Amino acid sequence: MVSESVLDKKLLLKNLVSSEALSQMVREFAELHHIGIRIFDEEGQKLADAKTDGGEFCSAVFATPSGRQTCAAVVSRLTNGPLTPDEHAPLALIETPPPGTPPPLVISCYAGLRYLLMPIVFDGDILGRVVFGPFFPEQLQPWPASLDTTNHSDWDMEQLAKLAENVERSSESKLLRILLPFSSILHLLIASGQRAFYASSMQVETTLEHARELENQNRKLLQMNERLRELDRLKSSFLATVSHELRTPLTSIIGYSEMLSDGLAGPMNMEQSEYVSTILERSQSLLGLISSMLDITQIEAGKVHMNFEPISLGELVRLSLASVRPWVAKKKITVTAHIPAHSDAVGDKERLKQVLINLLTNAIKFTLPQGKISVVLTEKEYQEELKAPGYRLWVEDTGIGIPKDQLDNVFRSFFQVDSSSTREFGGTGLGLAIVKGFVEGHGGVVRVLSDSNQGSRFTVVLPQTPPQEEMDIPHPVSILPSDDRF
Amino acid sequence: MQLNHEKRELTIKIVYYGPGLSGKTTNLQVIHSKAQPSMRGQLLCIPTHDDRTLFFDLLPVYFKSKSGIKIKLKLFTVPGQVIHNSTRRIVLQGSDAVAFIADSRHKATEENNTYWRNMRQNMREVGLDPQSVPTVIQFNKRDLPDTQTDEELEKIRARGKEPVVGAIAIQGVGVLETLFAVLQAAYRDLDARSNISLNLNMDEEEFLAKIFRHMDTSSSSLHF
Repeated sequence: MVSESVLDKKLLLKNLVSSEALSQMVREFAELHHIGIRIFDEEGQKLADAKTDGGEFCSAVFATPSGRQTCAAVVSRLTNGPLTPDEHAPLALIETPPPGTPPPLVISCYAGLRYLLMPIVFDGDILGRVVFGPFFPEQLQPWPASLDTTNHSDWDMEQLAKLAENVERSSESKLLRILLPFSSILHLLIASGQRAFYASSMQVETTLEHARELENQNRKLLQMNERLRELDRLKSSFLATVSHELRTPLTSIIGYSEMLSDGLAGPMNMEQSEYVSTILERSQSLLGLISSMLDITQIEAGKVHMNFEPISLGELVRLSLASVRPWVAKKKITVTAHIPAHSDAVGDKERLKQVLINLLTNAIKFTLPQGKISVVLTEKEYQEELKAPGYRLWVEDTGIGIPKDQLDNVFRSFFQVDSSSTREFGGTGLGLAIVKGFVEGHGGVVRVLSDSNQGSRFTVVLPQTPPQEEMDIPHPVSILPSDDRF
Repeated sequence: MQLNHEKRELTIKIVYYGPGLSGKTTNLQVIHSKAQPSMRGQLLCIPTHDDRTLFFDLLPVYFKSKSGIKIKLKLFTVPGQVIHNSTRRIVLQGSDAVAFIADSRHKATEENNTYWRNMRQNMREVGLDPQSVPTVIQFNKRDLPDTQTDEELEKIRARGKEPVVGAIAIQGVGVLETLFAVLQAAYRDLDARSNISLNLNMDEEEFLAKIFRHMDTSSSSLHF
């Protein structure tokens, strides 16, 4: 929370009205009414000052050492003295004081000059004071008895007498008449100043408070993000460990099943053979699943190391098609392939083969019997997406398709369009995530075009040569982009 | 509460909190019109172009106790619109008591609850304990259709310790009663915490009388 708000602080006159505005106001009043006007804040600091010719008399007196001494007390009484009446400062004779304005006091000086002292009160608080004067009362004789010139040997009486003629002769009642408009205008200035001061201060405080709130939320988000990253690391590490630990015994199961099936432990009857073959088939399926999980954890952990070597993409397509042929035959799906004569590239053979097999098995899985799958590999040409020469590979099917609103999700790990427990098609939802990881590992991109019951077309764009020896595979769970510059 | 021993001044901060358009500013306008000019300052409003409170409204009310202490009450409203939560926190900071202005209509119940929770959350954020800040609930807009019945209000009253006052602020009904309840609660809390009756030589009766004797209580249930 911000420290003490401006709402809880005492208002200061200098914060509400600019010194320029006050100066202009007192100057104009002084000129109009031929009277000196000064405004002081609560601490006695002068905020505005307008002298008239009469002020020269005081200045001349003040210029002499003895005058300065005797004036000091009066000045102090005017600037810092109490605002309540006492024997030296009676209330001015005022019939109807301006509303909300405490009655002014009359302060007399030993030279016979007088001042009116008016407190500046706003919302019940004293913000400062206005001093009107000096003036000689109209009825005053030229020199008051209090002026004992023997004590003021340093005074030039002739000059003072001349200057005294310039001092405004006024009556309290005349002065009191200007108090009303003066206090009204001052009050208006203060009120509008208070409004502007509060509005601007609150604008700043609110912005700071808002920023503080956002910083707090950011801190919480960062902590949460760090926790998520840690959980993600734990998940990847757990999956890698589990996959590894599962593969070891599974390899033994497969090995021994193969040995049994090959008759190395003696002949088996038909039923035994069938059982062993089921064990073998399911074990291999399980091994495939575990391998996929291991791949995805490595992709997510950014630990995939590509073994780039010269390859023929066409050859890879042919090999992949061969390995899915039994399944294609079983579902009576027609597969057509278009492969160019030359398709030399640099890539990781095993990873790209897996990309192809994953795309093909996906197509086969979601294509109904009698459906069609076509695989097209283009000639080498400039690829706009990669800004480099490369190949495009399409795997297109006439399967059930993917609803448009799910297209963005299909490359996410463990995502299934139909994730219900009663879904028709099995799988872990890792195949396409692996495809994306490996294609991006080659500096390529993968896209999908599909809609419900419209079939799907997966397009893989691969550069002829990956842009660098080893691509950084983007971390799928990177939550905040890091834009550190230094 | 701010006590300036040197200047013999005590400042008490009361905040009118509640959902947007529940009548917080109207409460202050009524108090302003009922209070004698000698004991209150201007009602300062800083509204938006569509006449909603932007930062706060402020009405200062002041008097001098018998023992010569100047007492200044600063009555604030918070802006009710959702987006001004930071401003609400700034205004709420350091408040001595709160008048929660709720809308009596059934359909406003959820909104009332939201702002009640928001107020308590903001109190915690500015270092106030929601359990101990004296709070009075005003059920405003009793004249509108579909308001909660008196029986329903009784049930709400019984659910908590806060005094509940019914009001039609726009007609001035219940406004001074709410102010009375919140000032009484503020005084009692300050007395319990800072023993102001002894330290300032001002009892609860004097405190309330000095305020309400200078207000037009004729159309209220208050007698001074």
